[in-house]
Amino acid sequence: MVEINVHEEACRGCKMCVDICPTKVFAFDEEKRLCVVEHRDDCIACLSCAYLCPSGALRHEDYHIVKNFYRDLAFCAKMEKFI
Amino acid sequence: MSDLMTTRAALQETMTFLGAIASGIEEAIGESANSITYLAGKRLGMQLSANIRKTDDVEEALEAVHQVLLDNNCLWHFEPFKTHDRPALVQTTDSGDEDLHLVFRDCMIRQSLFRFGHHQKGSLCTMMFGFFSGALLNVMGVDSTLEILHAGENACYKRLVIHRKKGEDQ
Repeated sequence: MVEINVHEEACRGCKMCVDICPTKVFAFDEEKRLCVVEHRDDCIACLSCAYLCPSGALRHEDYHIVKNFYRDLAFCAKMEKFI
Repeated sequence: MSDLMTTRAALQETMTFLGAIASGIEEAIGESANSITYLAGKRLGMQLSANIRKTDDVEEALEAVHQVLLDNNCLWHFEPFKTHDRPALVQTTDSGDEDLHLVFRDCMIRQSLFRFGHHQKGSLCTMMFGFFSGALLNVMGVDSTLEILHAGENACYKRLVIHRKKGEDQ
């Protein structure tokens, strides 16, 4: 199951993660003016929220990382796990 | 270099090349590119699932499509996904169709698009829609639509609608 950690001191309450999440994982705490994780089980680990967050306040753990295509074959031959 | 590495390198080069072609076609002919890739995907889906076992059950059909992809060494893994606000995985819509949500993680299309920063939700993604449409037509004998709800960096979220024929038992 995906773990989502919100760094409360970094979050600026811009709600971008709330808007971008396709499965409505986040909610906005009006009192604290911060985003909170409301439905953690619904996270599909698309990581759009983490990429979008302007202050880098979101961190995911225990998720499937998609392997990228190689950049340099000679380098990747030595680091085969990246291919 | 091992044979596996050579094969992977060849596949990745091919997919990257395909991504560049698709992006170029989109600029040249606009939305018509989607029709071309949809038909190519549909043909591929029908060819690869030609001898597949028929079923009316959506979840069984998806498992069959998944098996077709595995049998053909296609890195297009997907999984059905139910969020908290959906009472069931497969739901019947007002028009009598059935819909469910799918999550796509490892996707060679996304990877090839990212390699040179091409847009997602383009003609290559439509090829996946065509593939599902063709494969499900063989398995279930009905039309289907694969709508992209969200194209993310690490996973995509899609809605599959099975268009039941009028008068057909649900």
